[in-house]
Amino acid sequence: MRIGIMSFAHLHAEAYIANIRKLSDIELIGFSDTDQERGEHFSEVFKTKCFQSHEGLLDAKPDAVIICSENANHREHVVMAAREGVHVLCEKPIAVSLEDAKIMRDACQKAGVNFMTAFPMRFDPSIIVVKEMLEQGKLGKLYAVNGINHSELPKKHRLWFTQKALAGGGAVMDHTVHLVDLLRWYTGHEITEVYAEISNVLYPGEVDVETVGLVTVTFENGVFASIDCSWSRPNNYPRWGHLQMELIGEKGAVSVDAFAQYLTVYSELAPRDPSWSAWGADPNQTMIEEFIASIKEKREPRVSWSDGFAALKVALACYESAQRKEPIRLKDFK
Amino acid sequence: MRIGIVGAGSMARAHAPGWIAAGAELVGIVAKHRSSAAVLAEQFGTRVFDSYKDLLTAVDVIDLCVPTDLHKTMTMQAAAARKHVICEKPLALTIKDGQAMIDACKEAGVRLFIAMVLRFFPQYQAAQKAVVAGQIGDLGVLRLKRVSYQPSGDDAWFANEARSGGLLLDLMVHDFDYASWLAGKVERVFAKSVRSKKPNAQGDYALVTLRFKNGCMALIEGGWAYPLGVFRTAFDIAGRKGLIEWNSDSTETIHPFLESTSPEVARVGLPLTVLSEDPYTSEIKHAFDAIKNNKPFAVTPQDALEAVRIALAARDSLKTGKPVYVEGGD
Repeated sequence: MRIGIMSFAHLHAEAYIANIRKLSDIELIGFSDTDQERGEHFSEVFKTKCFQSHEGLLDAKPDAVIICSENANHREHVVMAAREGVHVLCEKPIAVSLEDAKIMRDACQKAGVNFMTAFPMRFDPSIIVVKEMLEQGKLGKLYAVNGINHSELPKKHRLWFTQKALAGGGAVMDHTVHLVDLLRWYTGHEITEVYAEISNVLYPGEVDVETVGLVTVTFENGVFASIDCSWSRPNNYPRWGHLQMELIGEKGAVSVDAFAQYLTVYSELAPRDPSWSAWGADPNQTMIEEFIASIKEKREPRVSWSDGFAALKVALACYESAQRKEPIRLKDFK
Repeated sequence: MRIGIVGAGSMARAHAPGWIAAGAELVGIVAKHRSSAAVLAEQFGTRVFDSYKDLLTAVDVIDLCVPTDLHKTMTMQAAAARKHVICEKPLALTIKDGQAMIDACKEAGVRLFIAMVLRFFPQYQAAQKAVVAGQIGDLGVLRLKRVSYQPSGDDAWFANEARSGGLLLDLMVHDFDYASWLAGKVERVFAKSVRSKKPNAQGDYALVTLRFKNGCMALIEGGWAYPLGVFRTAFDIAGRKGLIEWNSDSTETIHPFLESTSPEVARVGLPLTVLSEDPYTSEIKHAFDAIKNNKPFAVTPQDALEAVRIALAARDSLKTGKPVYVEGGD
C-alpha cells in the first residue's frame, strides 16, 4: 500500500513519517506542501520526496493520505483526495465548520473511501486500560470527569494554530476535541449541554484567538466533565503539555496521566532544558495501523467521521456558549 | 490572654496545640459531649466547663470549633459578652448570618477571626507570594484541587447540608477563598455536582468554574467521593509570564510501605504533611498575636464572607443550571 501526506502544515506530519516507515508493507511516497521553503526543509530532514502541489501527490497514485493541512484547508484537501479514490486519515479538528465537515463526509461516501479522524489517544494503552476498568464496572457508575488537555502556546511550532482564519479558533479548537472524543467513548453517550468560559487573558494582543478555556460538558446520562483546553503551559515548560483525567464513580475514583512515562533530561543540548523525554507507548503508531487495517479489511475505521464531527460540534458550541454566557443545548446548535 | 475552646472534634484537637504553642492560657473546654471534652482537657492540661456561658465569663478569647449552623448564635453571644472570637470556617451558612456576626463583633469592639487555615499552608503562601511578586505575571487560569472522603462528625453533621453547608461551603470554601486571594473579585460562577456515595443526602463531588472580573478564570474541584484515608490537594497557577505547579501526591516526604492490615483513618481528613510547623498552629499563633498586639489579621471576616458568597453562588448555579453572577461584597 502506498501512503502520502497532504501538507506539512501540522507538526504531527513529522511523527507520522516515522510511524509509516516502521510498517514493512507500506510505502511512503512523500508529502505535498505548497510552502516551498518548508517543503524543501522537511524533504531534506526526512529524506523523502516533496510534491510542490497536492495534485502532484495525488497524481502519484497513493492508496491513502494523511491530511496534515491547516484546519480550514481540510475540506479542500479531503475532497480532492476522495475524488481520486484515495482513503483519508484527517487531522483534528476535522474542519472549521459543520458544513465543511458534511461536505467532506459526502465526498468520501460518494467515492467509497474511508475517512478516519486522527484521535490517537483512543489508541493509548493507559487510556484503554481505563476504558476497560469502566467496562468491567470497577468504578461502578461513572459520574464525573475532571479533564485536562492544556499545553503551551503552539505558535512557536506553527503560527497558523493561533490564526482564526486557518485554525478556526484557538485553544478550544486545538484541545477540546481530544477529551470530548475520549469522554464520548468512555460514556457511550452523547453530550447534551456545553458551557464554556473562554478568554485571551494569556498572550493578549499577541494572538487573535482565545488562549484560555474551561469547558463543562454534560452527557445525556447525566455525567458531567470539565475540560481545560488552555494554552497555559509556559514556553519553557519541559514538554508541550498534558492529557490527564480524573474519573469519579460510585466505587471511587481513578486518575490517568497519559504522558506520565518520561525521563527528565537536564541538558542544554536537549530540545528544552530540562526536557521530558517520552519513553512510553506511541499511540500514533497504533492509530495509523488501524487506518491501514480498516482499508485492507474494507471496513469503517474504529474512529470515524461521526466521532470527528461530534467533537467539532462541541468545540463550535463552546464559542456560542462563551458569547452568550450561558449553557448551550447541543441539539439546538446548528 | 485566657482562651476557651468550644467543641471537642477534629478542629478543637487541631487548634489546642496552637494555643499551647502560642503561649496562651487555655483555661477550659466545653463540648456537647462532656466525655469528649474531658479527653481533650486531659491531653492539653485544662479543664471541662459545664456550659458555654460559664466558659465565656472565664476567658478573653473564645475559639468556636463547632458545627457551622452554631457559628452565628455562639458568635453573637460571645460578642454580647465582649469576648474576642476565633471561629472555624466557613464563616456562616448565609450572607445575612455572616454579616450579622461581623456587625455584632464590630459593634461590641471585639475581634473576629475566621480560621481560613488554607492561608497558613506554606505551599499556598509561597505560591501567593510568587504571584504577588509578579514572578508569573498577570494570572490566566487557575486549577485548584481538594478531594477527600466524607468526613464523619458528631451526629453526622457534615453530611447534613442544613448544618454544614455541604461540600461547597465546608470544603471548597478554602479554594474559593484562595482563588479570590490571588485573582480578586469573582464575576460569575458555573457549577456541576453529583452525589456519588449513597445514601448521603448531598453532593460529594463538584466542578466549579469561576470567572473573575479581571478576565482570568479558575476551575475548582472538590470532592468527598474518595475512599477512606484519601486526601489530595493540588494547585496549578498559570500566568502570562510563567506557571506554578504543586500537588500533594508528589511532595510527601515520607512514604511508609508497612505490612499493616487496617490503617487508621481520621474521622475528618486533613491535608497534613511533614512540615516545620502545623498550619493550624501557624494560624492560631497568628490570630493570638494579632489580637494581643492589636494588629490586622492576614485573612479578614470580609474575605471569609466573600468565600461564602462564591460558594452560595455555586449552589445557586447547581439549582438553576446557569452561570450565577456574584453580587456585592466590597
